[in-house]
Amino acid sequence: MATTVLRPAATYRTGLYEWLTTTDHKKIGILYTFNSLILFLIGGLFALAVRTELAQPGLQFMNEATYNQMFTMHATVMIFWVVIPFLAGFGNYLVPLMIGAPDMAFPRINALSFWLLPLSALIALMGFPLGGAAAAGWTSYSPLAQSAFSKGPGTDLWIVALTLVGTSSILGAVNFLVTIFKMRAPGMTLFRMPVFVWTIMVTSVLVLMGTPVLTSALIMLYIDRNFGGSFFNTALAGGNAILWENVFWFYSHPAVYIMILPAMGIVSEVLPTFSRKPLFGYKAFVFATAGIGALGFSVWAHHMFTTGSVYLPFFSLMTFLIAVPTGVKMFNWIATLFRGKLRFTTAMLFAVGFLSLFLIGGINGAFLAAVPVDYHVHATYFIVAHIHYVLFGGSIMGVFAGLYYWWPKMFGRMLNERLGKIHFVGIFIGMNLTFFPMHLLGLSGMPRRIADYSPTAGWNDLNLLATIGGFTIAVAMLPFLWNILVTFRGGEPAGDDPWEANTLEWATSSPPPPYNFDHLPPIRSERPVFDQRHAADAPAITAGH
Amino acid sequence: MGLTAKRWARRAGMIAALGALAMVLSACTDFNVRTAMPPDAASVQGQATRNLYDIVFVIGAAIFLVVEGLILFAVLRYRRRKGDDELPPQIHGNNRLEIVWTAIPIALVLALFVLSWQTLNTVDAHTPTPTVRIGVVAFQWQWQFVYAPDGVNWQDCGAAANKGKCVTVVGTLPAGGDRANWTPPTMHVPVNETVELQMHSIDVIHSFYVPAFLYQRDITPRRDQVIQFTADEVGIYRGQCTQFCGLYHQFMEFQVQVEPRADYVAWLQQQLTPPPSPSPAPAASAGAPAGLPGASPAARASVSLALTAQGVAYDTTDLAAPANTPFQIVFTNNDAGIPHNVSIHVGSPTGQEVFKGEIFSGTDSRTYAVPALPAGTYAFVCSVHPNMTGTLTVK
Amino acid sequence: MAASSSALTPHVAAIGESRAHGQRGISNPILGMILFIVSEVMFFSGLFAAYFNVRLNATQWPPLVNEAPFAPFQIHHDIVLPAILTTILVLSSVTMQLGVSAIRRGDRTGFLRNTGITLILGLTFLVGQIYDYTQLGFGITDTAFGSTFYTMTGFHGAHVLGGAIMLSVVLYRGMAGQFSAKHHDAVEATSIYWHFVDVVWIALFSTLYLL
Repeated sequence: MATTVLRPAATYRTGLYEWLTTTDHKKIGILYTFNSLILFLIGGLFALAVRTELAQPGLQFMNEATYNQMFTMHATVMIFWVVIPFLAGFGNYLVPLMIGAPDMAFPRINALSFWLLPLSALIALMGFPLGGAAAAGWTSYSPLAQSAFSKGPGTDLWIVALTLVGTSSILGAVNFLVTIFKMRAPGMTLFRMPVFVWTIMVTSVLVLMGTPVLTSALIMLYIDRNFGGSFFNTALAGGNAILWENVFWFYSHPAVYIMILPAMGIVSEVLPTFSRKPLFGYKAFVFATAGIGALGFSVWAHHMFTTGSVYLPFFSLMTFLIAVPTGVKMFNWIATLFRGKLRFTTAMLFAVGFLSLFLIGGINGAFLAAVPVDYHVHATYFIVAHIHYVLFGGSIMGVFAGLYYWWPKMFGRMLNERLGKIHFVGIFIGMNLTFFPMHLLGLSGMPRRIADYSPTAGWNDLNLLATIGGFTIAVAMLPFLWNILVTFRGGEPAGDDPWEANTLEWATSSPPPPYNFDHLPPIRSERPVFDQRHAADAPAITAGH
Repeated sequence: MGLTAKRWARRAGMIAALGALAMVLSACTDFNVRTAMPPDAASVQGQATRNLYDIVFVIGAAIFLVVEGLILFAVLRYRRRKGDDELPPQIHGNNRLEIVWTAIPIALVLALFVLSWQTLNTVDAHTPTPTVRIGVVAFQWQWQFVYAPDGVNWQDCGAAANKGKCVTVVGTLPAGGDRANWTPPTMHVPVNETVELQMHSIDVIHSFYVPAFLYQRDITPRRDQVIQFTADEVGIYRGQCTQFCGLYHQFMEFQVQVEPRADYVAWLQQQLTPPPSPSPAPAASAGAPAGLPGASPAARASVSLALTAQGVAYDTTDLAAPANTPFQIVFTNNDAGIPHNVSIHVGSPTGQEVFKGEIFSGTDSRTYAVPALPAGTYAFVCSVHPNMTGTLTVK
Repeated sequence: MAASSSALTPHVAAIGESRAHGQRGISNPILGMILFIVSEVMFFSGLFAAYFNVRLNATQWPPLVNEAPFAPFQIHHDIVLPAILTTILVLSSVTMQLGVSAIRRGDRTGFLRNTGITLILGLTFLVGQIYDYTQLGFGITDTAFGSTFYTMTGFHGAHVLGGAIMLSVVLYRGMAGQFSAKHHDAVEATSIYWHFVDVVWIALFSTLYLL
């Protein structure tokens, strides 16, 4: 049923001024998306620099000082200014629409949350012209990150920037939670919310409780570096380097669930639409998401197995256990595909790609839960493989699935499917080519964070292969960028519901009016738009909850 | 649509291509790609880890094949046929299935946990009577291995009373960063004996990793670590620092040489024999003018240069010395616990080495007797820290 | 379907009102403040975790300075002023709550008076804390003892300052007549924040001075 759009009043703000001052969650969601896209390209350039240098033994393109900045800033940018905000951006855009609300609970705080991001990114990147960006790794262990060993403002700028990102995240989490708890439309009970909204809810709890601990760690490090503090500074009496590791990882482990849960939520929306059947095991998904969130706070020290300062059996057990709810999700997704009628749009390809690649990341993660195995592969390229299979093969694939799926809703125009499929194939091949060899490199003992390596260690060919893969990914991004450009004005108009989807965002125009909904369909299940579309059909199909 | 069939062909082709690529690579690379296994264990503990890895690998591979197989099957079998607009059965879930695929993974991970905990107890087990104890000092960016005789604490090896009793191996970085003519420091150990490493870091967190032992341990300042291993295969195994420790982290390599006890003892003996006094610089081969006057005992060096190392840097980058005359460098190392020295190369730090002073840890000082050098420009550089360098003008 | 503003559903028309149509329970801003306080509790937890870690790993607490006990570290001997400050802060929570009760029953005068007293007590606490800093005899650079002490009390003081600013705003708005028995979310939210600041102080005082 088409929605009529009310004409905005003549005094409505337009243009650049509107975009700079908007408190509309949809525009803010789009701002998040473009900010993340730009920083994805920047973070990707840093990765290409790393891969170019490592393609062959010998330092050909840069010295160690530059290399160390490249991998530090690559990881920092990708985690804090790409993956987390990409997903927060989807949350911003979709959550009010999916629950039938007119906006987020605190629209002005929402705008603040966004604008802190480009500001903080600028601060962190300013390290480059000011004597060197942070170069102690994104994990910034002490004493290396102390002022004696990391001279210059780079690390301090990094600390300030991350504190601002943390503030942005925490405010966003408060916003999401109040919106979800208090602003659902009549009929939208918690167990009728789209799974994506559940994942944003659990993610927001993780952000709320984990990020402040990172903030405290960053502040303590800043005090050590600039005010003579001795929290982590082992050169001074009382300083404890392991304390940094504990406080840092207490946040940074839940951070990985912050980065994957909403992506899983996206996949949980895309798969049912293009399978033409509901998500299999909705309640199981909800409980599995909550379980991952809760367990996520109990595993942080698995990053510290090799320190000799950790109670190993507990953290090993919890790490093994977290595989269970993750597995439950994987089986439920596959069951959603089973006996469906699958349509392979680009969004669906990325969602299925997520399943294959995240599976690999989950399995190699299980290897790491076994402490003696971790003793062998910790801080080697095996870990780099694991990280990228879950964050690239998982989160980024989920982001692309979401982009192709919701782009028509956001901009009213369809993306070109052929270009999309080329993008997918390039990313899928490139990703595997880059990161699969890293399992082997790590198993044979190649450490991470080295600017160069011994030519006689047997690592030359796999490194070259990984670099070829890296450039494949880079080239594969070009059809996507071209796609955005050509369809912006000339793309096919999308209409309200181009995919025959299930959830409320498809019950309004594309793009939606500023107030989101002209009217809402009745909400009697987790698929209100599906129910409405099939209201005339046999009631058996629309068995409500 | 035709596009759908193309999609499948492309997918299948992709998988086949990757498989073929992997096989081609395994044939022409110098690493055994086919096995996706850790190196063959050269220690007893490493073998325990390897056994655990094999089990985890089989289970992981099985799960991968089954689940990936299910995905592939679903994607091929359930694709929408052209023109088919009918809805498939709208199945919402199946509680029994949920219980099954929750219970089985729980059982599986619990079993893996128990197995890995048992292996951990073997790998980290300590015997109170290791036959060899070696002190390991990690510093930016190399290693020091200290062998103390019975009755001497390796930390006391620097004391005057213990002079000549301990064997110390100090690693240096490759000159000019060129790995070609460089050997990492070697830790000799006897085969089939329990070796204990008492590890200490003087600056940042490092990590002692030997892939062939499938083992590593972080060394954090103020948290000395003690590990034990029993190497059971003779050979030379590479090792490297895995915990990112700053600028030259990539050069913190070392070797472990596992040998029969007799060879190990012979090596120790050889280290304890004082080396012959350093020979004069081979100036003739460097193309210097012939007839270089040798330093006569009476002609003691009259020129004395002062040089200090502090904060992993020299206090000056310009030194000058007279040509064709032996001279002295009074070298003061103010970095507590950090080894430095002065070495002299022709032209640049990668040039031919014409003098290498003893490496010693601060705070301490040495007077180096540098033999006569022909006129020219030389570089002086620390053998341990290649970023410490300067120019020596000889005229 | 004809497009006109009267076609908007009631819940959409109720944007901006915290008590939206059909909404029950606490209002959005108050729920938001509670969640924000959860995050603040976690922030202080990080600092407390650091303190306990540093303290339990130390061979001696308070640490020796130049191999000898350092007199200024014996802060549990000089707890008179901190105890007075604690009492002041607890009192300010009482007056804050009295102010909330007052506005809940529409007693604007009582609300203004109590809020004013709360603000004065809060500022007194801050001044007293700053004075105490000058009397302590050690700084942030004096071992981990100094680092943890000043960081924890310093950030608490910053939060008290933030609370004082909130109280000033609430006082100003109250004097401008913006609060009534039915609409005074900002007062409730500020009071919850103020109680949190007080509870953190009690934990800090007990941990740093008494333990």
